[in-house]
Amino acid sequence: MATLELHNIVKRFKDNTVLDDVSLTVNDGEILVLFGPSGAGKTVLLRLIAGVLDADAGRIVIDGEDMTGVDAEFRGVGMAFQNFALFPHMDAFANIATPLEARKAPRDAVKAGVESVARLLKIDHVLTHRPRALSNGQKQRTALARALVGSPPVLLLDDPLRNVDAKLRFEMRLELPRLLADRGATVIYVTQDYKEAMALGDRIAVMGQAGIRQLGTPEEIYLQPAGLEIARLFGDPTINLLDVRPSRDGQGIHVALSGTRVELPAAMEPSVGRACVAGLRPETLRFVKAGTKGAVPVTIEAETPLNEKTVTLVRTRGGREILVSRPAGTPGPDHGEAFLDIDAGGVLMFDKASGERLAAGGPAAPRKRATA
Amino acid sequence: MKAAQLALSGVDKFYGPVDRGVHAVKSLTMQLGEGEIVALLGSSGCGKTSTLRMIAGFEAVSRGTISVAGKPVHDLPPVRRNVAMAFEGYSLYPPLTVRENIAFALKAAKLSQAAVDAKVNEIAKLLEIEDILQRYPSSISGGQQQRASLGRALVRSASLHLLDEPMGQLEPQLRAVLRGRIKHFIKERGLTAILVTHDQTEANALADRIAVMEGGVLQQFDTPTVIKEKPANLFTGTFVGEPPMNVFAADATLEGGRVRLDLPQGVSLTYPESEFAPQVRDQLRALRQVVIGVRPYAVRRTTDGVAASVATNQWLGDQTHIAADFAGGTIVLVEHDRARVGIGDTIGIGIEPRHLHIFDAATGEAVAHGMELA
Repeated sequence: MATLELHNIVKRFKDNTVLDDVSLTVNDGEILVLFGPSGAGKTVLLRLIAGVLDADAGRIVIDGEDMTGVDAEFRGVGMAFQNFALFPHMDAFANIATPLEARKAPRDAVKAGVESVARLLKIDHVLTHRPRALSNGQKQRTALARALVGSPPVLLLDDPLRNVDAKLRFEMRLELPRLLADRGATVIYVTQDYKEAMALGDRIAVMGQAGIRQLGTPEEIYLQPAGLEIARLFGDPTINLLDVRPSRDGQGIHVALSGTRVELPAAMEPSVGRACVAGLRPETLRFVKAGTKGAVPVTIEAETPLNEKTVTLVRTRGGREILVSRPAGTPGPDHGEAFLDIDAGGVLMFDKASGERLAAGGPAAPRKRATA
Repeated sequence: MKAAQLALSGVDKFYGPVDRGVHAVKSLTMQLGEGEIVALLGSSGCGKTSTLRMIAGFEAVSRGTISVAGKPVHDLPPVRRNVAMAFEGYSLYPPLTVRENIAFALKAAKLSQAAVDAKVNEIAKLLEIEDILQRYPSSISGGQQQRASLGRALVRSASLHLLDEPMGQLEPQLRAVLRGRIKHFIKERGLTAILVTHDQTEANALADRIAVMEGGVLQQFDTPTVIKEKPANLFTGTFVGEPPMNVFAADATLEGGRVRLDLPQGVSLTYPESEFAPQVRDQLRALRQVVIGVRPYAVRRTTDGVAASVATNQWLGDQTHIAADFAGGTIVLVEHDRARVGIGDTIGIGIEPRHLHIFDAATGEAVAHGMELA
């Protein structure tokens, strides 16, 4: 267990500033996810914390102790990588044992430690196999076991599920939180998969140009994204983005969509008269009967059923495309004409020029599904 | 009845000598109607790509016949099969711009310049590659090359369109909307298309019917709905579906007017016998050893259900995935709202008979599915 503090970290590679004044505190026992596209500096930040790279400026503090400049092996940090990085000439047992061997643990302590973590990760039956005799999933579990075995106070996981198949990734995503909580480690977890980020993170740091764009709980990031680019990174299908210029009259703030007036909450005041982008999450949109008040007429272009949801591509009278998603098994619209109900409270409004989210409002909680 | 647009009959593929080499595709028989979209779905090495390559003419069939629009084509070279293709490795012509690449087959078909331009512009708009039409393939990204190659195939008029992992490299933000547009485009023009994919989301989204393959054998060929509701065997049941179907070994006993399913760790599910059709009851009596399956979104939390301890609760924005310790393993539930249960909480697991899938434990073949019970 440990608290990890990063103070004003700067890292440059030649003229390229990868991290510019990054500060962050990871709480004791917390899982913090670093999320962002490749090249956003996630792995560099991990390496700085691990001590395999040095920062150009800033301090790294673990449990109150300044670790800046301290050698990697004395930082109490365990690490697992996306490419597993197992030693090919050593069997799974020896691979997992390396951190314990490095600190010269007694032989029976090594044996007990390796066997217990191997049981937890369900690889106790392949401990005598070398990496080439292991499946991808077993390799990934072996790498994870090696990171966990010494019970390091800080655990750094660099996209550990990236190279395993979808089924296994799902299985591990469900298992990991308990596994990590049991070890009591403070975890920094890097991923490019938003589902993994939301599922595993107590908080998510969304990385952008040279730093952290937004830091918050999965709910804050999903429901109140700081900007349009962040909103686009979370959600499947992706959020609908429509150019609008809200206006105000005696009845309130509104936009026109498909020739229909859509009312907006009073909190959208800052957007009035401004070129904006309205973000509509596909799951907040509902098909309703013709004649429903405020319903937006659309044409159905295509229905694409997925497993737990059905996604419909519709077109407004003005030719704009909108994706609508609903739980699988719930009745959908007939072909041709349909009508959409837009949840005004769920609309995210962004400034078109800057991409920043405008109205302070935004939904506090996900919209409840009408129960069928 | 009208002839099938594509018919494969008893098709085998061996790499190496027939009957002794690697048997990649085993006695494959299937037919596609005109205007149908079919997905060949399976993991790598299942035979889907070999099948596609035989249809295209890039691979010879070892045995069997392939007909397109009623005419045998398996002895014809690719160019004489009237098939349009978007393949990985069947790449864009490097000395031509993206526009010229897409227009190439249209010009060969002797369309007027204006008609060619209109078609290219339309597909470029649909695939969002208008801004790269003047570029050369080497100067655009992998995802853009894929879209250009897809565009080149889709604009052609052909008896059959073959699409190999057509959206594998697209950025996720584009995928959902492109799937919708491509499906609309194909349907509007009545094209007959086969796509090969390992991504079930893509197969479900685009295809009228899905051919699930494994080990060179066609496991099931049906609509996405039937595959979801009535998987033919344990393989299909657990392969198609995300999150995967929950499965548990069970001993079936029928006594006192009730059907009892005993799962590991003393977990027992009992139902009135009347919920099961007589022939299903007979099969359960005969088999005893079965595997039961239930889809994550069909598992319910109920106060009178089997007690299970919550292992994780993961909210993904539009749905919640809950995993709980159950019958010596894990059971996964999907809910469409934000579920407020914490790790370690006890929840009641309810599985209604109408959501049960029952498989023969020995063969993996399906015995019954919820909707046909009673």
